[in-house]
Amino acid sequence: MAGLAATFGSGAMTNSIVEAEKADLFFIIGTNTTSQHPLIGSRIINAKERGAKIILADPRKIQLADYADIHLRHNIGTDVALLNGMMNIIIEEGIYDRQYVEERTENLDQLKAVVSRYTTRVVEQITGVPVSDLEGAARAYATTGKAMLFYAMGITQHATGTDNVKTCANLAMLTGHVGRPSTGVNPLRGQNNVQGACDMGALPNVFSGYQQVANEEVRKKFERAWGVEKLDGKVGLTITKMMAAAQKGDLRSLYIMGENPMLSDPDSSHIELALSNLDFLVVQDIFMSETALLADVVLPATSFAETAGTYTNTERRVQMAHKAIDPLGSARDDWDIICEVSRRSGYPMSYRSTADILKEINELTPSYAGITRERLTKGFGLQWPCPNEEHPGTPYLHKDKFTKGLGSFLPCDFKPVSEVPDEEYGFLLTTGRIYYHYHTGTMTRRISILEREAPEPLVEINPDDAKRLGIRNNDEVELISRRGSIKVKAEVTDRVPERVVFSTFHFHEAPVNLLTNPVFDPDSGIPEYKGCAVKVRRCA
Amino acid sequence: MKILAKSELLNVLKKWSDSYDIFAPGIKETGDIIFDRFDENTFTLGYGKPSLPQKSEVLPQSEIIFELKKGEYREVITGNGKMLFGMRACDAMGMRQAGSFMNRDMPDPYYRLKEEEILKVVMACAGPQNETCFCTAVGSGPFAEKGFDLQFYDVGDEFLVEAESEKGEKLIADGPFGEVDDAEAGTRIEEFKTNASMSVEEVPALKEAMNRLRDGSVNEGVWEYFGRKCIVCGGCVFVCPTCTCFNVSDYVTKPGEGLRVRSWDACLFGGFTRETSGHNPRGTQALRLKRRHEHKLMHYNETDIQEGLCGCVGCGRCSDYCPVHIGTLEVVKAIAEA
Repeated sequence: MAGLAATFGSGAMTNSIVEAEKADLFFIIGTNTTSQHPLIGSRIINAKERGAKIILADPRKIQLADYADIHLRHNIGTDVALLNGMMNIIIEEGIYDRQYVEERTENLDQLKAVVSRYTTRVVEQITGVPVSDLEGAARAYATTGKAMLFYAMGITQHATGTDNVKTCANLAMLTGHVGRPSTGVNPLRGQNNVQGACDMGALPNVFSGYQQVANEEVRKKFERAWGVEKLDGKVGLTITKMMAAAQKGDLRSLYIMGENPMLSDPDSSHIELALSNLDFLVVQDIFMSETALLADVVLPATSFAETAGTYTNTERRVQMAHKAIDPLGSARDDWDIICEVSRRSGYPMSYRSTADILKEINELTPSYAGITRERLTKGFGLQWPCPNEEHPGTPYLHKDKFTKGLGSFLPCDFKPVSEVPDEEYGFLLTTGRIYYHYHTGTMTRRISILEREAPEPLVEINPDDAKRLGIRNNDEVELISRRGSIKVKAEVTDRVPERVVFSTFHFHEAPVNLLTNPVFDPDSGIPEYKGCAVKVRRCA
Repeated sequence: MKILAKSELLNVLKKWSDSYDIFAPGIKETGDIIFDRFDENTFTLGYGKPSLPQKSEVLPQSEIIFELKKGEYREVITGNGKMLFGMRACDAMGMRQAGSFMNRDMPDPYYRLKEEEILKVVMACAGPQNETCFCTAVGSGPFAEKGFDLQFYDVGDEFLVEAESEKGEKLIADGPFGEVDDAEAGTRIEEFKTNASMSVEEVPALKEAMNRLRDGSVNEGVWEYFGRKCIVCGGCVFVCPTCTCFNVSDYVTKPGEGLRVRSWDACLFGGFTRETSGHNPRGTQALRLKRRHEHKLMHYNETDIQEGLCGCVGCGRCSDYCPVHIGTLEVVKAIAEA
């Protein structure tokens, strides 16, 4: 989100899901769309069948590879080089959108200076992508009017994640693919409400609607609304920095809600040390997760079915959810627990329901001002920005001008993954998700049919590598990194290229984040889940 | 034959509510139409094709079939005495076929009790509800020949009402239901039926596809094509009136106590046919889609189709909802044309 905020002025999907139905080209980079966003993936498959083109950039042969006109299987972590190479071709061949670039953007010269170093030969060497494919992809994307770019964690979960995002944005601006229907830079959010959590200021630097805590006027507004004085203007810590601070002893207590860092954070043996080093740990969750087991206090929260409120999905659409059943056991709504904790800590909160909370959001958050409960109950949601009650919501952003005025080209240079394979650790491990499980499996692994579909962790390994190591399908193998080791069954498949192995973080039996490298993107704090060096060994 | 003024319908439903738990189409604030507990404020006759068949009234999405407590265990067999008002003929046929399947050879007690206690009131369709309806091709509609308690025909300002069961007859014995001359009513109903049937499009590909399946002459490329794009959501199975696959799983609720639950499953999921060894006789999505359609259009026909043509009742919901267009209509057309 940091990358898009810097280039365009807002960090969210620029366009809407339904616009895929009218697009003529899809550039899909770092998203296994049919698996992780199947209803968006479906629209892409349907579009292909009516004649749209697909350019896929992914090291793995995912389902969409079957449909791709061009599949760029670039080496892991070489996204910036790949995209710079495409931009270099587009500039050299003069097929960028001159009028758009002149009227709506700034810093073209800086962009040119950087990308000119990414000649086809150089890029081929870095990425492993044949020149003809690179040229084909660049020309098709630049010259198709309605071209949508989709990305997800394959772009962001690198130490260079923000660079990757900025470079995607550069490519889209260079070709005039922002600010019109069926175009745009479209980050697919992995959770039903992660956009909402960010919008509500569950970030270390902002209040709701990305209003900066460092801005005194903004702080004054919230101080008045909440009847408090001297809100802290200091930017807080990201999750990853919190863990480091806890381990050092600088952070003494932590209140974790709906998150399971014991499985989801990189280098998880250090996470356990960090959490154990706290004086006081509170975990609020719906199940006794690996993290909750370490807590001093566990507060049982309600699941989606037991609570009401709104979710904001990947296309900035705020939607109403109703309660289906009363909370089970002693579970209480997250907001209700927070109010109770606050009251006992000496600051009584007066919300009686989620309706009261939404009213406050409307009052304090300009982009949500018109998204009222009354309007939400009548339809299928509203897309922000929606500044007043007459406003219909915004299907696509940056029409006529960018949120920040001119769109800024912020060119980046290629940096390889932090831990490059060497003689001893000869494979690059990339991690991700499968269709049947969600994150650390606290919910999906309790669903009998999902558990039956994917009962155990697997590691994908290329047939040539497997043969060389004497590994057969379903053999147990050991993956070893500099930080730990796990045992998993091998799935021998050409879905992964040679010297790359893929596994998921859903399974506590083989927590893949024992292996991952705790290096972080300096701007967003996102860890490099997508590449670390490992060795692979067949278990006796 | 009986007749009812349309203006009396709400009163009748309210009266029936005293003795039945009525489920009927209702329109929600968002415009969605859902078969739900009867509510006179949301009840609507303009409901077209309900978004789901009423399958879950006989085969709930999940249900407890066994309870285990310290020192005792108990089978849980429940009925519910519901009236389903406004079922479409295709869905009534679906319930008949599924009932035959579930009770043949080894009756399923959990299913059967619910089925026995349900009162089915069919609202005959005057024509197709949308472009995916093909009930006439499979002999399931647009009106029901059998398998209902009452059937309503909308003939303008009034309904002609026919009863098939004793329970049904009792419901319309008196009150606002009036007598109408059988011959006259019969003529009006025949006219209704003819117009309704004529207005549903024929699907010549269906019989061609069934023949090719029977002869084993289907081009395998058809299954490859669909298997490649299937996103394995199981949606086609869950919205299908005749799909009844389920899984049984046990849960520990407290130490020493537990539940046995059965829940909807789908033959399109790999784990449904995967064997303990890891081998899967239907190891690809293409093979699983093939198996599903063979069952609907061929195997089922020998045992459970009642007066229908095959194990598909032509409701068209799989074509309505599949995100990548793998509905029975698309499949039979692809088979016939390949």
